[in-house]
Amino acid sequence: MKKATNNIWVGEKDLTRDEQFIQDSQKELSLEETMVSDSANESLRSNRRDFLRFLGFGLGAATIAAGCDTPVKRAIPYVVKPDSIIPGVATYYASSYVNGGDYASILVKTREGRPIKIEGNDLAPDGLGKTSARVQASVLSLYDVNRLRTPMAKSGDGFVATNWSELDKNVGEALKTASNVRILSQTIISPTSMKAIGEFAIKYPSTKVVTLDPVSYSGLLDANETNFGKRAIPSYHFDKADVIVSFNADFLGTWVNPTQFAGDYVKNRNVSDLSKAKMSRHFQVESHMSLTGSNADNRILVKPSEQGVAIAYLYSQIVGGGSSAGLNDKAKAGLSKVATQLKAASGKSIVVSASNNVSEQLMVNAINNALGNYGSTMDMSNALYTRQGNEREFNKLVEDMNAGQVDFLIINDINPAYFSSMSDKFAQGLTKVKTKVAFGMAMDETNNQADYVAVTPHFLESWGDAMPSDTVVSVIQPTISPLFESRQMEASLLHWAESANYDPKAEQPYFDYLKYSWKDGAFANQNSFASFSSFWNDALHNGIVSVANQSAGNAYADGGSLTEITKPSSTDMEISFFETVNMGNGQFAGNPWLMEMPSPVDRTSWGNYLAVPVSFNGVSKMVGYNDLTDGDIVTLTIEGVEYTLPVVQQFGQMPGTVGLALGYGRTMAGGTGTNIGVNINNVVKNNGGYANYYNDNVTVSNALSKEKEFSCVQYHHTYGVTAEDTATGKVINADEAATVFFDYFTGVTGFQGALTDRSVVYTTNFKDIKEEVKDLTKKRETAQFLNSKQIYRGHDELYKNGHHWGMYVDLNACIGCGACTVACMAENNVPVVGKKEVSRHHEMTWLRIDRYYYGDVTNPNVVYQPMMCQHCDNAPCENVCPVNATNHSSEGLNQMTYNRCIGTRYCANNCPFKVRRFNWFDYTTADIFLANQVNIADEEIPFGADNLTRMVLNPDVTVRTRGVIEKCSFCVQRIQEGKLTAKTEGRQLKDGEIKTACQTSCPTEAITFGDLNNESSVLNKKIESPLTFIALEEVNVRSSVNYTLKVNNRDESFDA
Amino acid sequence: MSAIISPIREPLITGNKTYHQITEDLVSPTEEMPPLGWVIGFILSVMGLGVFVFTVLWTIYQGIGTWNLNRTVGWGWDITNFVWWVGIGHAGTLISAILLIFRQKWRTGVNRAAEAMTIFAVICAGQFPLIHMGRIWLGFFIFPYVNTRGPLWPNFNSPLLWDVFAISTYFTVSLLFWYTGLVPDFATVRDRATGFRKKIYNFLSFGWTGSAKHWQRWESLSLILAGLATPLVLSVHTIVSFDFATSVIPGWHTTIFPPYFVAGAIFSGFAMVLTLMLVTRKLLHLEDYITIEHIESMNKVILLTGTIVGVAYLTELFIAWYSGYVYEQFAFFNRALGPYWWAYFGMMFCNVVSPQLFWKKSWRRNIWLTFFLSIIINIGMWFERFVIIATTLARDYLPSSWSYYSPTWVEIGIFIGSLGLFFTCYLIFSRVAPVVAIAEIKAILKYGGNQYVEKAGQGHDSHSHSEDAH
Repeated sequence: MKKATNNIWVGEKDLTRDEQFIQDSQKELSLEETMVSDSANESLRSNRRDFLRFLGFGLGAATIAAGCDTPVKRAIPYVVKPDSIIPGVATYYASSYVNGGDYASILVKTREGRPIKIEGNDLAPDGLGKTSARVQASVLSLYDVNRLRTPMAKSGDGFVATNWSELDKNVGEALKTASNVRILSQTIISPTSMKAIGEFAIKYPSTKVVTLDPVSYSGLLDANETNFGKRAIPSYHFDKADVIVSFNADFLGTWVNPTQFAGDYVKNRNVSDLSKAKMSRHFQVESHMSLTGSNADNRILVKPSEQGVAIAYLYSQIVGGGSSAGLNDKAKAGLSKVATQLKAASGKSIVVSASNNVSEQLMVNAINNALGNYGSTMDMSNALYTRQGNEREFNKLVEDMNAGQVDFLIINDINPAYFSSMSDKFAQGLTKVKTKVAFGMAMDETNNQADYVAVTPHFLESWGDAMPSDTVVSVIQPTISPLFESRQMEASLLHWAESANYDPKAEQPYFDYLKYSWKDGAFANQNSFASFSSFWNDALHNGIVSVANQSAGNAYADGGSLTEITKPSSTDMEISFFETVNMGNGQFAGNPWLMEMPSPVDRTSWGNYLAVPVSFNGVSKMVGYNDLTDGDIVTLTIEGVEYTLPVVQQFGQMPGTVGLALGYGRTMAGGTGTNIGVNINNVVKNNGGYANYYNDNVTVSNALSKEKEFSCVQYHHTYGVTAEDTATGKVINADEAATVFFDYFTGVTGFQGALTDRSVVYTTNFKDIKEEVKDLTKKRETAQFLNSKQIYRGHDELYKNGHHWGMYVDLNACIGCGACTVACMAENNVPVVGKKEVSRHHEMTWLRIDRYYYGDVTNPNVVYQPMMCQHCDNAPCENVCPVNATNHSSEGLNQMTYNRCIGTRYCANNCPFKVRRFNWFDYTTADIFLANQVNIADEEIPFGADNLTRMVLNPDVTVRTRGVIEKCSFCVQRIQEGKLTAKTEGRQLKDGEIKTACQTSCPTEAITFGDLNNESSVLNKKIESPLTFIALEEVNVRSSVNYTLKVNNRDESFDA
Repeated sequence: MSAIISPIREPLITGNKTYHQITEDLVSPTEEMPPLGWVIGFILSVMGLGVFVFTVLWTIYQGIGTWNLNRTVGWGWDITNFVWWVGIGHAGTLISAILLIFRQKWRTGVNRAAEAMTIFAVICAGQFPLIHMGRIWLGFFIFPYVNTRGPLWPNFNSPLLWDVFAISTYFTVSLLFWYTGLVPDFATVRDRATGFRKKIYNFLSFGWTGSAKHWQRWESLSLILAGLATPLVLSVHTIVSFDFATSVIPGWHTTIFPPYFVAGAIFSGFAMVLTLMLVTRKLLHLEDYITIEHIESMNKVILLTGTIVGVAYLTELFIAWYSGYVYEQFAFFNRALGPYWWAYFGMMFCNVVSPQLFWKKSWRRNIWLTFFLSIIINIGMWFERFVIIATTLARDYLPSSWSYYSPTWVEIGIFIGSLGLFFTCYLIFSRVAPVVAIAEIKAILKYGGNQYVEKAGQGHDSHSHSEDAH
C-alpha cells in the first residue's frame, strides 16, 4: 500500500504498522466489522450495509414505480471556452445558401456553436441577401436524422457503411481504369468548385461535366446563348419596369431568383404616399394560379399548350411575323391590349417566360429587344448563373450511358432518378455504368442506385464560394464542425485527382484550397485590399464581395428558329405542372418545415392536390370541375398512367385545365417526404429533348372517395368574389350566396355583404384609390368614434409610457411567399404536427398568411394577409383567462405564461383573429407522460423530438408542453436581447434595432416592427399613410398591428 | 304548513292514504330487493359510467387532441355538455326553493327526486370544466389559494373563474338543502330498520328523534336554505351565460343571454324531472303521490319557459338584424342557414314548436306524450347549447379561419358516459332514500289527500267525485 510511504497515518495501529491492520486495510470493505452476527437465526442475518442496500432498493423501486422518470439530459460544459462563444450570446457568420439553383447571401445565427437560424445578409448587393422559405428552412436539414453518418458502399441490394480510406482506395482503382468519366451535377456556381473539377479533369482527361436543374431552364439558356453568345440569364430589374408580362414564369415564387425579383417588384408598386402614387402593371399569362399570377393585376388565361402561340401572338404584335393560330379569342384580345401597353412602356417593361422551348424563348428575347428592354430593365452583361442545366447534354449522357459509353459516373447532389422526365431511361443507363459515385447528404432515389455514396456535409458545415452573377462572389463558411464523417465533393475530387494544390493531411484541406483559389480569383479582380489576408477576412466578415465584371459586352443578335413552338392542343383537358415555393422539384421533400408549410396559393400542405377549376352555379354554390369538391379523391390519367390523388378547388384555374405541383411522391426522402403525394415527373412532356411542364393527354375521373387527411389550412378562400346571379341577372358576391347550406325551401340566396362589409381586408383598384381611401378614412373615423364612447377607460394612457411595440404589414408589398412563416417556426420552436394533425386544423403556426380571392370568380385577384397575434391593448383573450396565464406587458405585448396555462382554450375562442394555437398533443415530447407521443408519419418519435433535430431549437424560446396555448410573441426574446444590448452599452434603443423574425425574413420588406411611442420611428411614418387600417378596428380590441389597403392595378377593360 | 288547499283544486295525494300507508309506500323500496327493471337500468348505467371513466382517462392521458376540436373551435361537446347538465340541475332548485317560498304544495310530490337530480346533474356538469382543461393536473390554479408565487391570484375578471364559484356554491347549497330534507325521512327508515341498516340510517339521520324542537329547527333551516337557494336559481345560469356574453365573438356577445339561459335551464330541468319521475313513479308505484296533477303543473312550467326561450330566439334574430352589424347579422344568418342548420332547426323544433302542444289540456295530462316530449326537449336544449357554442365559433370574424367541427368517439363517449354517471347516482339514490319526501307528504295529507279534498269540495261540487270532473 502506498499508505506506508507517506507520512499520513490514521490511528495508532497505522502508525505502528500493525500486521493485522495492514492486512485489513488491503480489503476495500471490511465486512466482519459491520456484521451483526445472529447465529441463532442464520436466515435473518443482515448488517448495516444490507440496511442501506434495502433502503436504496426501496427508494429506487418506489421512484421507478412512481413512473416519473425524468429523462437524462446531457449537457457538457466547455473545458476550455472558445473565445468566440459566450454562452447566451448569439454569434453570426456570413455564408451563402446554394441549393438546386437557389442562391442567397446569408447570415447564420449560432448559439453555443449550433447554427439555429438563417437571416438575410444586408450587405449583399443587388438584393441577393434576401431569404425565401427554402433558405429559412435549410438550417433544419443540417439536423436531419436521415442524413448519412458515414460514406456508404453498395453491398448486394443494400448499402453498408464504409470509411473514407476504403472508399478512396476503391474509387481510385476504378478511376485508373476508367476511360469515360462523367460528372452529373446540379448547377455549380462556385469558381473554386470549378477549379477543383478542372484539376480532376486534367488528371482524368475523359471527364465531362453535365449540368442539370431540378426544373429545367435549358430553353431559356439556349435561347440566350443564341442571341447573346452567353449561356446565362440576364439580371432583371422589375423595379424599373412599368409593364411586366410573364408567360407562366413564377418569378416571385420559384423562377430563377425569386427573392431578388420580389424585392425589386414591390418597389414599383408602393402606393403608400398618395401624392406620388405610381404602380407597375403586371400581366400573367397562365392556366394555373401561380404565386406570381396571384399577385398579378390581370391574368390572361391560356391553356398550357397555348403558351407558344400566346408568345407568338405577342411577338407578331410587337416585332411582327409569326403564326398564332390556335390561341383562344379572349387571350388574343387581351394580348393585343398588352402589346399596346408594352409599346407605350418601351424600355420600361419586362417580358419573361418560363417556357422551356427555345423558339418561344427566342421570341421573348426578340420582343424584349424590340421594346428596348435590354440595357434598361434587363441586363445581359451582368448575368445570373444560378441555373445552368443543359438538357441536351443530359440527354446525350443518358444515351451514352445506355450505349455503355460511360464507365465512371459521378453524381453531385442531384436526383434525376426522381425528377427527370427521363428517369426510367436514366435508371436503365445507370445499370450499364461500371462505377457510380454519388455525392449527397442522404439516400435518395438516385444515390440508392450508385455503388458508392460519398457523404457530403451540409452547407453549414462546408467551405466554399459562389458566384451567382458576373459581379459578386460570396463565401460559404462552416458554422459547425461536421456532425458526421462527411467530406465535401470538391475535397473528394481533389483527393482523387491527387492535386498538388491540395494537401489532404492538412487540418482543413479544402479551406486551404479555397484560399488558394481566391488568391488567383476574386482577390486578383479587386483593388480595395492590398493584402490577401485582409481581403479574405473582409470577405469572410461580409460574406460577399463585389468584383469587376469580366464578361463581354453581349449585344443582342437575332438567330435561331422561331417556328418550333409548342403546338396548341385540341384536347378537352390539359394539365400544367408547377413548382411550389416549399417543395421545388422534390429537393425539399425531406424538410418537415417546408412540408408542413402550406403552399401559398392553394393553402394545402403535406402532399400535392390536383387543382381543378371552380365556378359559381348562379344560385348558391361554388361548383368544382365535374362537381368535385375539396378533398375528393379522383383518378388522374395522364398518357395512360393513373394517379390517385385528392383535388382542391382552385380559383383562377382556367376551365379545361387542371394543375398539379411537382416535387411530391418521393420514394426515398426520409420519414417526412417519402410517399407524400404523387410524382408526375415521368409524364412531363418531352418536346425535342426539353421538358415541357404540361401534358394534354389527360382525363380526370369522378370523385371516388374522400381524402381523410385533407391537409388544407384554409377552408374559406374568398372575400366577395363576384358572379352573375342567374335568377336576377345581377352581379352578386357569389361566395356570400354560397354561405347558405340549407334554405328551408324559401329560396334564400345568401347574405350580400356578409364578407365584403367586414373590416378584415380592404381592396381597391389603383384608379379608384382616392375614393377608396376616403371611404376607408370615414369607416375608420366611425369605428374610432364608437370606440371612444366605450364606458371603460382602458389603459391607453399607461401604454404611452416607455416602449409600445407595434407592427405594420404592407399588404401591397406582401407577395404571400411564406418565408416569414418558416422563419417564425425556426425562431420560435414551433412544432411540426404532421399531415393528420394539419387536416384536423391542429397546425401550430404562429404566423399564417391568409389568402383571399376577390373580384371576378373565374379570374380573381388575390390579397395575402399575414396574420399573427395583434397584441391588442384591449385584448379579449386576456380578461377571460381564469388563471392570468395570458396578460399584458407594460410595453403593450400580449404575453403568454406557459407555466401558468391550464388549457381552457377560452382565450383562443375569444380571439377575433384566431391566432392562438393549442398543443392538442405532445408535439414536442415535453410532456410528463412518456408513453404519450403521437406518431406522425410513422416516425418513431415526432418531428423535432430526437436529440439531433433538437439542436435546431432556439434556446431563448421555451418549448411548449401539451395542453397549453401558444401564439406570436412579437419575438419577445429579440426585444429583450435588443433592450439588454442597449442597456449594457448605456444608451437608448435605436429605432429598427429590434427586428422580428418575420420581418428579417421578408424579401419584400412588407413587415415593419417598431416602437409606437417613438414618434420618429419608421413604423410611425409608415402608419401615417392614408392606406393604413387596423383589422376589426370597430371591435375595439385596440390591436397593435396595422395593415394597408390592398391596391391592384387591374386593367378592367380586359373583363369586358 | 298553514296553507289551505282550495276545494276546487285537484287532490295532491290520491288513494285515500293514511299516514301509515304513506310510510309503507315510500320506505318499502329501500327495504326490498330491487325489481328487474332497476337491475337492468343499473347495469346499463354502470356500463355508461365505465365508458365515462375510460374516455376521461384516455383524454387525460393522450391529450385534448383525442377530441376533434381545432384552432377555430376551441369548445365543442365538452362545454355543451357542461351547460346542458347545469341547466338540468335548475329544476330541482326551482322546485325546492322557489316553489317552497311561493307555497306551491304540489312540489312535495316531486321535490326530493328533483333535488337529487340537481345534485347529480351538477356533479356531471362539474366534470366538464375539469376535463376540458389541457392540463387538468394543474386545475388547482383556478382556486384563489394562498401561495408563494407573489402571491399569484386567479383572474377575477374571467367568467370561467366566476363559474368555479357559482357551481361550487350551487352544489354546496343544493346538497345541504337536499340532505336537510332527507334527515327526518332517514329517521323514518331507521325506525323500521333492524341491525346494521338501522345503524347506518341512524348515522345518516343524525340521531333525529322527532322532537318538536327538532321539527322547529328543521323548518327554520329549510326556509333559510330555500332563501339562499332562490337567488342561485337565477345566478348560476346567469354566470354560465357570462362565459359567452362577456366575450367579443358575434353570437356570444349578447346581453339577452342571462334571462334566456335561466329560462332555458328551467325548461330543460323540468323536462328532465318529468323524464325521471314518469319512470320512477311507474317502477316504484308512486302514482298516488306523483299524480297527473303534478305532471300537468310541470307541463305548464315547460310551456311557459319554452315559450320564453322561443321569444328569446326570435329576439336574438331581430336584434341581429336591427344592430346593422355585419358580424352579428352573419352569425345568426349562419346559425340558421349555414353548415350547422340542422342543429338550429333541431333546436327550434324541439324547444319552441314541440312544447306548444301543451296548450291543450288533455295533451298536458297525457303521460306518454309528456314522456316523449320531455326527451325531445332535452335533446332540443342540448342542440341549443351546441348551436351557441360550436356554430358560433366555427364561423366568426375572419373567413380564413372558418372551420367545421364534429366530435370524435371520445367526446361522444364522455357524453354518454356522463349520462351513465348521472343514472348510476340516481338509481342508487332511488334504492337507499325515499324518493318522495315522506315528512312533507304527510304534512300536506290533511289538505292535499283526496279524501279530504273531496270532503271539503262537496258543498261546491256535489255532482262529481271523480278525478276527471275538473
